[in-house]
Amino acid sequence: MIGRLGFLTGIALRHLSKRRRQTLVAVSGVAVGVGFFLAVSAMMIGSQTDFVRQLIDVAPHIIVSDEVRSPTPQPGTRVYANGAVQLHGYKVRTEARGIKDWQAVLAAANAVPGAVASPSLTGGVTLRLGGHDEALAIVGVDPEIESRVSDIEDKLRAGNLRDLETVQGGIIIGEEMAQRLGIGMGDIVAATSASRSRSMRVVGLFKRGNSQLGSSSGYVLLREAQSMLGRPFVINRIGLRIPDPYQAEDVAARLEQRFGYKAESWQERSADFLSLLVTRNVIMYSVVSAILLVASFGIYTVVSNSVADKRRDIAILRSIGFSEGDLQFIFVTEGLMLAVIGVFCGWALGYGLMEILGSLNFPIAGENQHVPLDRSPRQYAVAAAASLFAGAIAAWLPARKASRVDPVDILRGAV
Amino acid sequence: MSALLEARGLGRVLPGDPPVTLVREANLVIEPGSFTTIVGPSGCGKSSLLYLLSLIDRPTSGELLLEGREVSRLSGDERAQIRLMKFGFVFQFHFLLPEFTALENVLIPIRRLGSLGEVEARERAMHLLDRVGLAEKHGKTPDRLSGGERQRVAIARALANDPVLILGDEPTGNLDSQNSARVVEDLRHLAHEEGRAVVCVTHDPGIAELADVRVDMLDGRIENILDRRGGAAAAP
Repeated sequence: MIGRLGFLTGIALRHLSKRRRQTLVAVSGVAVGVGFFLAVSAMMIGSQTDFVRQLIDVAPHIIVSDEVRSPTPQPGTRVYANGAVQLHGYKVRTEARGIKDWQAVLAAANAVPGAVASPSLTGGVTLRLGGHDEALAIVGVDPEIESRVSDIEDKLRAGNLRDLETVQGGIIIGEEMAQRLGIGMGDIVAATSASRSRSMRVVGLFKRGNSQLGSSSGYVLLREAQSMLGRPFVINRIGLRIPDPYQAEDVAARLEQRFGYKAESWQERSADFLSLLVTRNVIMYSVVSAILLVASFGIYTVVSNSVADKRRDIAILRSIGFSEGDLQFIFVTEGLMLAVIGVFCGWALGYGLMEILGSLNFPIAGENQHVPLDRSPRQYAVAAAASLFAGAIAAWLPARKASRVDPVDILRGAV
Repeated sequence: MSALLEARGLGRVLPGDPPVTLVREANLVIEPGSFTTIVGPSGCGKSSLLYLLSLIDRPTSGELLLEGREVSRLSGDERAQIRLMKFGFVFQFHFLLPEFTALENVLIPIRRLGSLGEVEARERAMHLLDRVGLAEKHGKTPDRLSGGERQRVAIARALANDPVLILGDEPTGNLDSQNSARVVEDLRHLAHEEGRAVVCVTHDPGIAELADVRVDMLDGRIENILDRRGGAAAAP
């Protein structure tokens, strides 16, 4: 069996060796298709991975806040849980904001294996300098824990998160905000909340162009935020970082179910971006599959021509005693050999293109950056599989025709 | 002598409007060791009858018995296997595969059957080429061989799997008289000395004269069968 297939493959190889130019064209077609598939998908997937990593790492993977997704049921409704209760003109019970019993929530969050949870308090203040007012959302954090939960440390243009602990009334704000107020590192600015007012010293600046941190948020010490906002010992946010970011949705759902507070995963937070990425992938894969498909047309042409040229040979082989399957195998093998050679050349081409792309620098946000590339072997396998599949189909169509050649028609025509 | 191949009322009609009858009611017995020619004017159906006998084409009526077994209704693959193992073909246009050398052309049926190892297969192919006097040209591709040489390679290839039946379709059609005589002599030898059955379609009266059995065809019908071995003429 193996011997026979090897023998049939030999016949296919001999056919191809006699039509070098067409073979070359078909192989180049596949090679270019595979090469560009690799280059384009490396860039697309690379940039996507890079982008998603930024989405994941810019803020905690999960943020538990003191919000709830639906209003807390009123006591009357709670008492008659299964009854048909209608209440009129009741006075809504005012609940104090903040996560109640947050130590328990924090403990539960920390209990997730490998997770780090950072409690914080957010609130609004107004920064005032001269006659200039700017609204600012301050986040009170414990710098030591917060730095393990998000990578804001990396986003600092100047200063250090730890400086919040060493400088009385230290605050970290965005570069844009600082510019608007006309202040810089070490300058003092007045901060006013609903309950009190005090002066703060700028100890750090965020880099500009960061949509997540925004230009209107600032970091202070947790204690500082609690006293400034007049809410001692209260926190309203717990940021959580977990070892596998893709578990965030599950972990968030568990925390939310247990405590009732809204726990937002990074996926939920970035759903709009993620759906954009899906669209982008659909576009990419349609374009590159079109390239691979077109490449297989070359294979179709070669095999189809080969079948047309070899009608006499097909007739003689059939009369000698070759079966339809033998003939089909010969011509499909011709197409597959083209595809295989093309795939190998395409791998080399794709590798070369990636090397070139990888060596380029592009100025992004004022910094020279390498193009993020995904060089995983998976893409090589996908390109090969797609090409071989397309090649097999492209070869199979004319090969089927070859196997159906009626030797009598050819012999009768020739005699 | 028992029949190797027997046609009983064999007929072939090409479907169409109107349908074309290629062969009608052919009765014929082919015996081992006999040299049979089928003769007749162009379009009389002699090639069509040969394709039926050689299991390349399927009859639309009648029976075909090979060694007593009905074979015309077998599947395509089964008939291909019979052709591979038991039949050898020699065609007018010699039909060698142009990409392959003389030796490789002879090797093709041997390798396809796969019953011999590579070394024995090459030995056998060389031996067959030697028989037709072309051993020293085994490495040449068909375009480097003369017409007579190609036809002798085709005969060697027909013998590749030691067939019981050799089928020729105008085997001397494209050859000069000298080459022609040589090919005919080869075919006669295969029948008389080696006990194979040889069936040839031909225009060449010289071949027809040398044959043991002459089948005359006209309009798709066997008109007369002349058997020189017994000397008796038998009507179909």
